[in-house]
Amino acid sequence: MNLRFLTNFLLICFILLITSCSQSPVFKEYQTLSRIGDQQEWATKNWNDDGWDKRKPIVEAGEVYWTRTPIDILKAPEPLHPYAIRPYIYGEYEVFWDGVLIGKNGNPGQEVLLGPEGKMLTTFILPTHLSQEGEHILAIRSSLYYFPDHVGMRVDIANYDDLLTDRLIETSYMHIFAGAFLIASIYFLFLFLSDKKEYPMLIFSISCFLFFVLNLTEFITTYVPIHYAYHHIRLEIKGVLMFSISFLIPLYLSKQFPIPKRKISLLIYAGILLFIFFIKHNFIDFTTRNMALSMWFFSFGITIFGIYKKMKGARLVMLTLFLALLVNFIIPFEVGIFIGFSIILLGMFYLLSLRIKEQRLAYQTSLVQSTRLRLELLKKNIQPHFLMNTLTSLIDWIEESPKKGVLFIEALAKEFDLLNQIENQTLIPISQEIALCRTHLEIMEYRKEINYSWQEENIDIHEKIPPGILHTLLENGITHSLPQEDNSIKFKLIFESNTTYKLYTFLTFASVSTEKMKDREDGTGLKYVKARLAESYQEHWKFSSEPTDHGWKNTIKIYS
Amino acid sequence: MKILIVEDESRIAKRIKRLTRDILGDALQLIIHINTLHEASIYIENNSLDLVLLDLNLNGNSGFELLSKAVSESFHTIIISANKDQAITAFEYGVLDFVPKPFNRDRLEKALHKTITTEKNNEGATKFLAIKKRHRIQLISVEDVLYIKGAGAYTELFLADGKKELHDKSLEKLEQLLSSSFERIHKSYLAKMSEIKEIIVESGSKYIAELKNGKRIPIGRTKYKDIKAKWF
Repeated sequence: MNLRFLTNFLLICFILLITSCSQSPVFKEYQTLSRIGDQQEWATKNWNDDGWDKRKPIVEAGEVYWTRTPIDILKAPEPLHPYAIRPYIYGEYEVFWDGVLIGKNGNPGQEVLLGPEGKMLTTFILPTHLSQEGEHILAIRSSLYYFPDHVGMRVDIANYDDLLTDRLIETSYMHIFAGAFLIASIYFLFLFLSDKKEYPMLIFSISCFLFFVLNLTEFITTYVPIHYAYHHIRLEIKGVLMFSISFLIPLYLSKQFPIPKRKISLLIYAGILLFIFFIKHNFIDFTTRNMALSMWFFSFGITIFGIYKKMKGARLVMLTLFLALLVNFIIPFEVGIFIGFSIILLGMFYLLSLRIKEQRLAYQTSLVQSTRLRLELLKKNIQPHFLMNTLTSLIDWIEESPKKGVLFIEALAKEFDLLNQIENQTLIPISQEIALCRTHLEIMEYRKEINYSWQEENIDIHEKIPPGILHTLLENGITHSLPQEDNSIKFKLIFESNTTYKLYTFLTFASVSTEKMKDREDGTGLKYVKARLAESYQEHWKFSSEPTDHGWKNTIKIYS
Repeated sequence: MKILIVEDESRIAKRIKRLTRDILGDALQLIIHINTLHEASIYIENNSLDLVLLDLNLNGNSGFELLSKAVSESFHTIIISANKDQAITAFEYGVLDFVPKPFNRDRLEKALHKTITTEKNNEGATKFLAIKKRHRIQLISVEDVLYIKGAGAYTELFLADGKKELHDKSLEKLEQLLSSSFERIHKSYLAKMSEIKEIIVESGSKYIAELKNGKRIPIGRTKYKDIKAKWF
């Protein structure tokens, strides 16, 4: 699913690439000359501007200055499809084309008086009769009250419709991505809220959201007029967003591919980002480029580690990193950075889906395991060795001593009853487990004619324990032990607890059997005990089972 | 008759003892109960017996090791076990009977009866013959055995690869275990019928069975008619 999404995405990128390169320019821009001062005649086409300055003028706040740029129109517009011009200039300005005022953006020279007016991007139609092939003069009268050091001049001339719609089309494409990432962000936020331990989901959700906002911030100028005085706010926001995303992506990857010394590495990385963020802070392009680059390299490092350790998904993330790099080589940075980020986020998305799949499988396995344990508990009393031996003894008791036979049946009924009660639970009161053990001993006494005794020490009847585990240890004790000289086997359960753990010690006092105990080490009985402990206490338990001088010793330690 | 019970359930062992005494009456000379495999193994090595009644699941250990030792001995073995699913394997080892628990007097009597009479073991499922080698027991596949010759209390197994092995069981006891494919063609010979190529009648009413490998073994005069009627 993810891969198909990726291919579609790449297709769209490709189309974007084609459309952005498809038109050849219709004009040629020559050296801009500038002069501080204000004379209406400077607009005229044939004004002699020999003494004008080739460098950017150094103006004071609000001071009016003029620029003159010779422009060659290479191809006249088709009839009824006029050309338009779009200056990329900081400040408020008036635009003269061949001496004719064709539009204005704000009130140059009167910014304080009239307040901020105009917007960042404006488009002016070139009169058809003035856009014939040949040389023309673009004169701009402007003032820069708010950021006098941001003088700059660049224009774009193209078919009026194209000039307006191209950026709209680009914006709409980018906003489709923005929307997708907003939804992804909300979805993963909800997933995180339902399981608050899943921090990668939260990081991914935040990354998606930040990416959504970054996208809006970048393309908002297309449809929301912003005065140049407030433009820096947008740039600052962009910078902060870039900073956060550049930090979050490696943070996320480091969670998925845990690198050694993770915290220190991330701290150092954050330091590098901050350094980049604050040096040359006014050159926002420089800052974003460098932050994006550092992010790429750091992510690359983490992913290399992931691949080295053969972690799932690392190869695909590496692929997305390279794709992102490739895209940034062939597409201008302003768009490339978004596509690059999108690809990387998709890689992260893929990782999350892998993890979710793993969790689902683990959950299913745990369900199967629980069912299996339940069946194993149920099977205890119907497995042939127990049942048939019991029935054989029972027949004998009934034939020999019917009254005792009845008592035997009652004990058997009691054990079946107790097992029924605990059969579908994962934790039962210790008192119930002890009752089960005592009944079992009663039955075994009828069968084996050995004097079994049961002792307890320090038992807290409010404690809970997985069902059947003491019972299993007791069964082992009975099966593998021979009676002492007085024909008795003694079992003792001791409970200790403190703030860090609870400890059950289960002792068997018997004469040590000379038989080899091949399957004792990890026989099905002990497997059952361990599986039950893992089911209820995950990794917070310890179990041991070993022979002693007096018989056998089992310990169950449960950490709190 | 001397019988050993190997059983770790005391009540059941008592029951077997009681019922056996009841069934065999004066024929029973000795009945002894042992509740561990290890002790039973030692006892078998050092005492002569006529029958072992063996439980296959003792103190959590499998009794098959003891079983292969027991079936290599001269006496018969009967399994008394709760695990019916082990019956087929037990028969393959060459036990006389498998009595599933819980059992009643009739079932035990039927099993014990097989040891008294030379009644054939109808199951005919014996797949291996266990022979005693130095320090170990070797299982020989019944398929590899061509014919068996009685040699006093022992028997000689003649194998397809030309080898000869000794077995502690008498020809009568082996006949009981191998009845499905082997026939007693002579008082000293038990032959696998599928291995007999032809029957040669020599002068003086001497009947000879010639095996596929060219080996000739005599057929008892009294047996000839029965064999001919049954097999040819």
